[in-house]
Amino acid sequence: MRLYNFLTLQFGKLIVKALQLLHKGAGNLPGLILLGINKNILGYFKVDCPIIAVTGTNGKTSVTNFVNRLFEQSGKNVITNKQGNNLDTGIVSLFLKLCSPTGKIHADCLVLEIDESHVPVIFKKLKLETLIVLNFFRDQLDRNGEVETLILKVKSFLETFQGNVILNADDPNVARLGLANPDNKNVKYFSVEKYKYATDKIHEVGEGKFCPVCGEPLEYEYYQYSHIGLFKCPKCGFGDNEIYLKVENVDLEKRRFTVDGREYDINNPSIYYVYNMAAVCAAAKLYNIDDDILRDTLERFEVNNGRMEKFSIGKSNAVINLAKNPVGANMTIRVMNESDHEKELMFVLNDNLADGYDVSWIWDINFEVFKDVTRVITSGRRAYDIAIRIKTSGYDASKIEVCPDLDEAVENLFSTEGEKFIIANYTSVQPTRTAVINYIDKNKEE
Amino acid sequence: MKTIRILHMYSDMLDLYGDNGNIEVLSYRAKARGIETAVEHHSVGTKDTDFSSYDLIYLGGGADFEQQLLAEDLQSCRDEIMKAFNNGTFFLLICGGYQLMGEYYKDSNGEVIDGLGMFPYHTEASLNKNKRCIGNIIIEAELNGEMSKIIGFENHGGQTSQTDKPFGRVVYGNGNRFGSEDEGYFDKNIIATYLHGPLLSKNPKLADHIIRYCAERDGNSVEMTPLDDTLEEKAREVLFRRLDARR
Repeated sequence: MRLYNFLTLQFGKLIVKALQLLHKGAGNLPGLILLGINKNILGYFKVDCPIIAVTGTNGKTSVTNFVNRLFEQSGKNVITNKQGNNLDTGIVSLFLKLCSPTGKIHADCLVLEIDESHVPVIFKKLKLETLIVLNFFRDQLDRNGEVETLILKVKSFLETFQGNVILNADDPNVARLGLANPDNKNVKYFSVEKYKYATDKIHEVGEGKFCPVCGEPLEYEYYQYSHIGLFKCPKCGFGDNEIYLKVENVDLEKRRFTVDGREYDINNPSIYYVYNMAAVCAAAKLYNIDDDILRDTLERFEVNNGRMEKFSIGKSNAVINLAKNPVGANMTIRVMNESDHEKELMFVLNDNLADGYDVSWIWDINFEVFKDVTRVITSGRRAYDIAIRIKTSGYDASKIEVCPDLDEAVENLFSTEGEKFIIANYTSVQPTRTAVINYIDKNKEE
Repeated sequence: MKTIRILHMYSDMLDLYGDNGNIEVLSYRAKARGIETAVEHHSVGTKDTDFSSYDLIYLGGGADFEQQLLAEDLQSCRDEIMKAFNNGTFFLLICGGYQLMGEYYKDSNGEVIDGLGMFPYHTEASLNKNKRCIGNIIIEAELNGEMSKIIGFENHGGQTSQTDKPFGRVVYGNGNRFGSEDEGYFDKNIIATYLHGPLLSKNPKLADHIIRYCAERDGNSVEMTPLDDTLEEKAREVLFRRLDARR
């Protein structure tokens, strides 16, 4: 068996080399091939350093990149999957590229973004030190099944896990994971204090309506966004957790918050982002990261890559944000509404395998709250579906323009000047960035 | 002005896959004809709901967990719901709502939820949670004597049997069971189906069929002025083209 593992590993490294020679990015392919011929290969890699994993529906890529930067700035040699190849195939591909011929991984630590459904698969084979769980929202239901199924997968892994677990206390679906293993003393919760736009009623579609322990409807003091907020079960008391890290005095206008009495500047004005940063702060606290490094990271680091990424051309500014589920899209619409200017929206909707073939999630987006949106352009494989959705919400149909072709859509978007917001779902976000960058390059020269 | 009274049942629990969008589509298309819609809610614990006073009763789809939670409340309303149905109230039932009105639903954990038994069908889900009918679906249904293609998206583990009066014939996709020819359940004042999408968003004719039924229930006739459905027609075209190419 050892020899077989050794041989598959060498074969895998050959595939990586061959792909490099062909100038093809490795992606998931080597891992896909290797797991096909040897499903135990993950366990053959020798990893001696701590592994920190980030999972949850939204924000994985951002938080992983931020935590990675904390360690890098601390002088550590970190291995990470920045681009979000977060399934077992992606992890095997990453390891193949970096390991020694005997499968040894040389690093001070690994910071990995892991898909929720792959947490048990991957960490049955690799020793995890810390798991950070951000949130659970409905997401690509046709691929993932019900949200509950995913939560149960992570829960089943945690039932025997003794390492650090960092959980979002304000998401009942995440907080319940703290009960998975009553013997684990290393469960820590982060939370964000009520912010200015928190509401008494749930404003956007959410999941956590009932107590996961006893089934009683949960009582909320307030909602920050979706089902994230301060909740408690009136019957069994679920939700009353000791907080390890609390983000306080959230000021989105000034883009700052405080933790343990210290003030930090951040560079993005959305509550959704603040929760990601709370997870980053919790990781920093757990690993005793130098406060200057944390401060610098929160203040200056940007992931970009279609996550609230800013572009400008002439008198126009555009922000592209990835939204692969209603909560992500609602968040961009919140940010749009918090700006007092007139603006235009472009929405790019695909329904490729990685997006989920089902686009019905767009009906959980709150378009009726639109403020000062003067025009909407829709694009992507399901450009008409998103146009119908926006029309039905009450938005003037004559202001909706459908351009399935992305380059045409971008050209159309920039045919007027002003503030632009672009929402793109999973497989459309990179092509959309490329189309915008190409447009900007082309029009600079002239 | 005519008002269609809609009772949306368990909207806080049965709201997977954007099913609440069906109500939005109905309201939007009714309003464009000068017909108002008044939407009220019934959920677990709501007292004294007068089911017969509504023109339309609507239930969407939900996860197994939620279906368990509401089953008891639903049973307690059985007689009143039955009365409304016999009175001519229109029932639009999607996925979970469809299953719960049959004899019983055996979920993917093997637990049996008693249905209301209003209709003769029953549903059993595989214990293997990955065995689900998932994908785009096209069926052909007869509405007011006219054959019409209905497009949607199905995502269900439950396999429904003994639907003596199906809603439509499957043209593409699975329907009531894996690879079945029939989809949903249909009668004069009920459409029960697995189609999400939400269903009415890409099937304006179907939406108008329901609006007309509800608006004309009291004997009046309403004028259903044609609306500009260019976007809907284009969205349908895109899918017809794509799915035909794949067959």
